[in-house]
Amino acid sequence: MQAKFSRKKITEAVTGYLFLSPWLFVFIVFSAFSLGYALYLSFTDYNLLKPPVWWGWEGYARVFDNDLFLTKALPNTFKYVLIVVPIQTAISLVLAFAMDQNLRFRKFFRTVFYLPSVTSSVVISLIFVWLFAPQGIFNQITSLTINWLDDPKYAFYVIMGMNIFTTSGTLMLIFLSGLQDISPAIYEAAQIDGADPIQIFFKVTIPMLRPVIFFVVTVGVIGCFQVFDQIFVMTKGGPLDSTTTLTYLIYKWAFRDTTIKMGQASALAVILTLIILVVTFVQRRVIEGSGSTTQ
Amino acid sequence: MKHLSKIMTLVCLAAILLTACGAPATPQTITVKETVTVPETQIVEVPAKQTVVRLSGWASSPSETALLESLLYRFSVENPDIQVKYEPITGDYKQALLTSIASGTEPDIYYIDIFWWQELAKNGVLLPMDDLGVNRDAFVPSLIDAFTFDGKTYGVPKDFNTLGMFYNKDLFDKAGLEYPTDDWTWDNLKEAAAKLTDLSDSTKPVYGFCTPPDPGRFPAFVFQNGGTVMNADNSDTTLDSDAAVQAADFYTSFRAEKIGATPADLGEGWQGTVFGKGQCAMVYEGGWLIPYLRDQFPGIKYGVVMPPAGPAGEGNLIFTVAWGISANTKNPDAAWRVVDFLTNEASQTTVMESGFALPSLASLQGSDYFKNNPNSAAIFNGAFNGAHPFFWGAVGSDVNDEMGKALERIFKENQAVADSLKAASEAIRKAIKEQ
Repeated sequence: MQAKFSRKKITEAVTGYLFLSPWLFVFIVFSAFSLGYALYLSFTDYNLLKPPVWWGWEGYARVFDNDLFLTKALPNTFKYVLIVVPIQTAISLVLAFAMDQNLRFRKFFRTVFYLPSVTSSVVISLIFVWLFAPQGIFNQITSLTINWLDDPKYAFYVIMGMNIFTTSGTLMLIFLSGLQDISPAIYEAAQIDGADPIQIFFKVTIPMLRPVIFFVVTVGVIGCFQVFDQIFVMTKGGPLDSTTTLTYLIYKWAFRDTTIKMGQASALAVILTLIILVVTFVQRRVIEGSGSTTQ
Repeated sequence: MKHLSKIMTLVCLAAILLTACGAPATPQTITVKETVTVPETQIVEVPAKQTVVRLSGWASSPSETALLESLLYRFSVENPDIQVKYEPITGDYKQALLTSIASGTEPDIYYIDIFWWQELAKNGVLLPMDDLGVNRDAFVPSLIDAFTFDGKTYGVPKDFNTLGMFYNKDLFDKAGLEYPTDDWTWDNLKEAAAKLTDLSDSTKPVYGFCTPPDPGRFPAFVFQNGGTVMNADNSDTTLDSDAAVQAADFYTSFRAEKIGATPADLGEGWQGTVFGKGQCAMVYEGGWLIPYLRDQFPGIKYGVVMPPAGPAGEGNLIFTVAWGISANTKNPDAAWRVVDFLTNEASQTTVMESGFALPSLASLQGSDYFKNNPNSAAIFNGAFNGAHPFFWGAVGSDVNDEMGKALERIFKENQAVADSLKAASEAIRKAIKEQ
């Protein structure tokens, strides 16, 4: 019996990996290898034209000595995460809660809220560029004369707003599936105990959603730390570096500068990975560790 | 058990496939024999002599791409032994080119821009063309010199542009002003800008002069004031010199006095559009604006003169692109013949007459085309009147970024001109030190 079982296990494993192999191949070539190579490059002086030369921690030292990194990219990125993640999580939770009720045209609204998420970010960026142009619709409706995307005071907030607009739909969908997973029996029990709807929301729904909240916040934090395409399309890091984030700085050093700084850019990419790792770890402690419903 | 049998079928299938590939059966050798017949030697003959050369550049507009394709077609008719594969790059050209160089798959011939090509030469990526037979004397000296590094020629300039002052004739007529001439000075410019500005219609304000925070426009004023952007060997910046600060003072005074604006003030990304819409009466732009206006604003009446002279005389910028040959090319001679053909008099005349860019050959200076096209002539003549190449050394992108930001700080944060340029110079010096 024992021998037969293990042989079956082996064949299962072999078929498993056989089916996985196309994906594994893509993962190893395009993700694992690139990750490892970027780590190697972060310790080299590399300008794309000559083979990389080892220079140890010099690239990291230069990152931490760079004004653009210290005074713009790093604070901007954290500001972006701290503003966008709570708002998009709250909005998507409320939307999901509303979509879970027995409303008329529920399916229609679900589609409408989800639509921005499946639209290309470049297309949405261009639409926002037009909306917030000096003679754009937004200024005409509000009769303001602000040049939103060319003003260091406002440009970053427009991009934040756009990101909230596009990602809330996806997060709403995740919350919705989480809400529908909660057993009606628990709600019934709460009602019998005399809880009012607000109490039910905060004492039943939210705790039951904790794993989903963790997932949504994690996905949101990682996405926000990596915000790039919207900035590339809308402001190119300007005006006056007010929208330069870590990923845009990586791009600038790696491809845009006259003298390419691939090593320094890779060092910053590794630093960004570490930042995301630490933040995700801390957040896991905070969200999952605070309640008694940890699974 | 069901799964097991499925797997067995899979394995059997794989086995059949493997044996089919591994051990060829006898009938297949017969088919091989069939192909080894006389016609095959005939087919092989032609491609063996035809050398394939890959050529690449950015695709700025469909009509420009079509123009190059027609030149390459003419080349293929005259040179049947060379096959040119044209691979235009849309999007970020420099990024695409550098990654292809890094992976060793770059084209044999490609565009090199005056702004960053020296990095390629310094790293031994480009082939020096002196031994291939480049005739340096045939070209406008400042252009061929711009592509010389360490005494070697690394690129053949394909064309060039300078800045001209485009002015809207209708707006001048409306303000009752004489059209500008090549003899204008800063004072004339300022005076005219004040008279041309008309802010009575708030939905469509008209400004006299456009002053974008653009590192490709502002340096002309620095040169006109006797200053420079960088010192002679690009080892230090001179943006905090008195000449540069005064130039910035003058440049930013238009907007401060509400007789000038940036394109962004008017909701556009480029002053060419602002000019076409008639919201700026005068702009400094290159020859590329001519086909743009023809396509987008066919109704506009405009003229072009050389930029007005400053206290120290004429000043201008030269923008130029050359054909470079990869140091890794397997067919340097074939590549050279393509480059030579694309920059010869016949090809350059075709390009000139299309209005896209100005010829780099000295022999075309007296061409009839310029007599009939005074607008192009003004831009062409700019090259001989105080023009400096648009090139700031190895930290060029930093210099451009800092120059643009210095102007933006003056425009948007009302920073003092001298302080703003001082800050820019310090940032540039730090970038130079990190090289």
